[in-house]
Amino acid sequence: MRVNPNPMPDLLAALNQTQLEEQQAELQISTGKSVNQPSDNPTAAALLVENNDEATFNSGYLQSMSAVQGQLSAADSTLSSVTTALQQALSLGVEAGGGTLSDSDRAAIAVQLQGIQSQLVSLANTTYQGNYLFAGTDTNTAPFVVDNTVPSGVGYVGNTDVNHVSAGSGYKLAVNLPGSQLFSATGNDVFLALNNLIQSVQTNTGIGAAVNSVSAASSYLSAQRVFYGNAMDQVESQTTYLNTAQLQISQQQNTLGGVDMAAAASNLAQAQTDSQAALAAIGKFSQNNLFDYLT
Amino acid sequence: MSGLFGTLSVALTGLSVSQQEMEATSNNVANANTPGYTREVPVVAAGDPVEVGSLSVGTGVVLQKIEGLRDPMLLIQINQATQQNSALNASLAQLQQIQTQFASSTSGIGADISNFFNSLQQLSPDPSNLTLRQSVLTAADTLATDFNTAAQNLQTQSNNIDQNVVQSVSQVNGLTSQIASVDQQISNLQSVNQNPGTLVDKQNTLIQQLSGLIDVQVIPTDQGITLATANGTTLVSGSQSFALTTQASGGVQHIFSGSLDITSSLTGGSLAGLIQVRDHEIPSISSSLDQLAAGLATNLNAANTKGFDLENPPAQGGNIFAPTPASGVGAAATLTVSITDPSLIAASSDGTVGSNGNLANLSAIANTALANGQTPINAYSNLVGQVGSATAITSADADSSNLILQQLQDQNGSVSGVSLNEEASNLIQYQNAYQAAARVVSTVNLLLLDAVNLGMDAAEA
Repeated sequence: MRVNPNPMPDLLAALNQTQLEEQQAELQISTGKSVNQPSDNPTAAALLVENNDEATFNSGYLQSMSAVQGQLSAADSTLSSVTTALQQALSLGVEAGGGTLSDSDRAAIAVQLQGIQSQLVSLANTTYQGNYLFAGTDTNTAPFVVDNTVPSGVGYVGNTDVNHVSAGSGYKLAVNLPGSQLFSATGNDVFLALNNLIQSVQTNTGIGAAVNSVSAASSYLSAQRVFYGNAMDQVESQTTYLNTAQLQISQQQNTLGGVDMAAAASNLAQAQTDSQAALAAIGKFSQNNLFDYLT
Repeated sequence: MSGLFGTLSVALTGLSVSQQEMEATSNNVANANTPGYTREVPVVAAGDPVEVGSLSVGTGVVLQKIEGLRDPMLLIQINQATQQNSALNASLAQLQQIQTQFASSTSGIGADISNFFNSLQQLSPDPSNLTLRQSVLTAADTLATDFNTAAQNLQTQSNNIDQNVVQSVSQVNGLTSQIASVDQQISNLQSVNQNPGTLVDKQNTLIQQLSGLIDVQVIPTDQGITLATANGTTLVSGSQSFALTTQASGGVQHIFSGSLDITSSLTGGSLAGLIQVRDHEIPSISSSLDQLAAGLATNLNAANTKGFDLENPPAQGGNIFAPTPASGVGAAATLTVSITDPSLIAASSDGTVGSNGNLANLSAIANTALANGQTPINAYSNLVGQVGSATAITSADADSSNLILQQLQDQNGSVSGVSLNEEASNLIQYQNAYQAAARVVSTVNLLLLDAVNLGMDAAEA
C-alpha cells in the first residue's frame, strides 16, 4: 500500500498536541487549580460557584456571630451590674427595716437608694456602639426616662421588638430583650419596687414588704438575664460549628477544583517527554531519499 | 513497416516516450511541495502492431496521456470534513473567549451575588450602622457593574463576529468568482482535448478554501461544476458565480442570496460556526444574565419597599435598583443602583432605627426562586455549567473533527502526494529505457552503415 509521502502535517499536529498538554499541566501547577476554565470540568466549575457562595455565607455568619457576641456580652455584663446594684439596695432596705435606726439614718439610706435608682436608670440606658441595648429596636433613643407622673418614677419609651440575626442557614437567633421585659415587667417592675422601697424607708412604713418586692423583681430580672447567657452559649457553639463547616467547605473546594500536584507534575514530565519525542521525530524525518543515492 | 528503418522508428518512440516520462517525473519533483498538487503519471501503451506477411510486428510505444492521480470521492469527503471542522473551530474560538468571563468562582457575578447577600447579613446585628449600610450599597454597585461588563463584553463579541461574517462573505464571493473563472479555463482546455490537470488542482484547492468558510456541495455537470450550499443556494454554475450579500437585520448582519435570507440555513464552514455562536450561544447567555439581573433587581426592590429607611422621620423604602425593562431584555447591560444614600436601605420593619426585621425580607431573595425557577446563585452556577459544557462539547467535537480531516488528508496524500523515492526509482527506470533505446538507435545506425557500404568497415566510412 502506498503511504502518504508527506507525514509532516501529522507530525506537526502531534507536536501541537503534546505542547498543548504541556501548557495545561504547567497552568495547573502554577495556579494550583484543575479547573481554570469552565470547560475544564463544567460540573465542577458550576459547583465551585456554589461552594464559593457557601464559603462566603459561612465566613459571613462567623463574622456576624462575633458582632452579636459583643452585643450580648455588653448586655449581660450591664445586667450583672444591675443585679449587684439591686443586691446593694436590698441590704440597704434590710438595714433600714432593722428598727434601730434614727429618722436621719433612714433619710440617709433613702438618699443612697435614690442614688441606686438613678444608677439603674443609667444602666438600663446603656449603649453599645451607639445603640441603646434595652430599647427594643428603638435604639437611638434612651428607653428609660425619669417621669414623676408614673408610680415607678421611670417611664419606658422604647418598644417591645426583638431583632433576629441569622446564625446559619435557616437558623435565626434572637439577640435582644426589650427593656420593658427586663426592668418594668408588670408585677416585677424593678423601678416601681425600688421607688416603693424609697418611699417606705422615708415613711418607715411597710419596709419589709417593699424589700420583698425588690427581691422578687431582682430574681425576676436574673431569670430574664439567662436569655443572654443562653444566647452567648448558642453563639459560641454555632461559631465552633461554623469553623468546622468552613474547613469542610474548603476541603470540598479542593476536591472540586484543586490540583493533585504529584499527578500534575508527572503529567508535565510526560508531556515534556512526548513533546521532545515529537520534536526529535520531526528533526530526523527522512532527510534522505533515493535521489541521494543516484550517481 | 519493417526492416532496419522500422526498427529505428520503434527505437525513436522509446526515446521520445522515455523523455516525456522523465518530463512528467521532473514536474512531479518540482511540485513535490506545491499545495494541492496532484502527482501525474504517464500512461503508456504498446503501439498497434502491423502485419508483415504472416507476422505481427510491434510499432513501439505510445504515450496516451499524462494522468493526475486523484480520488474524487476522497476530495468530496475532505470538503465535507473541512466544512464541519471549520464550523467547529470557529465556534470553539468564540466560546473559549466567552467562557473566560465565567472562569473565576471567587470573582465576577457569582461572587458578587454572594457578597451582596453577605453584606446584608453583616448589617443585621447593627442595622443603623452607616458604614455597614454603605458596604451594602458598594456590594450592590459591584454586582451591577459586573452585570454591565458581562453584557457589554457579550455584545462586543457579537459585533466582532458580525464584522467577521461580513469579511467572510466577501471572501466567499472572491473564491466563487475565481472558481468560476478557473472552470471556464478548464472547459476551454477540455474543448481542445488538452490536459487541464493543474487547473483542476487549482480549482479543488479553491473549493477546499471555500469549504473552510461555507457549506458547499460540488455537483459535476456537462458544463463544468455547480457549487451549491446545503439549502440549495447556487454559488457557482459553470463559469458563472453568484455573489452573496450581507444586510443588517435584527441588529446583526444576515447573509442573502439574491433576496433569500440564508443566514440560519448554513450548516458548515466558519460562517456557520460564527453564526451559531452569534445567533444562539450569545443570545442564550445574554438572556440568562438578563433574567438573573431583572429577577434580582425586581425582587430586591420589592423587598426594600416592604420596610422603612433610616431617614428622620422614617419613610417606606423605595427601589434599590433602577427598575429593569419589563421584557427583561437589556436588564444586565443597564442594571444600576439608583440610590446613593445608605440610609435609604429599608432594614427596619417598623420604622425604628434599630429594627432589622426587613433585612430578613431582603436576605430571603438569596433563597427565592426567581423568574427562571432558580435561586440567584443556582441560576448563575447553572449558567457557568452551561457555558462550560458548550465549550467542552465543541472542543471535543473539534478535536475529533481535526483527526478525521487529518486522516482524510493522509489518505489523499497516499493517493495524490509526490513521493521522491518513487520519482527517483521511476527516473532510474526511464533513464535506463532511454539509454537502451539510444543504444538500439546507434546499433541500427551501425547496421545501416554496414548495409549501405556493402561490407566496408563502418569505422572507415
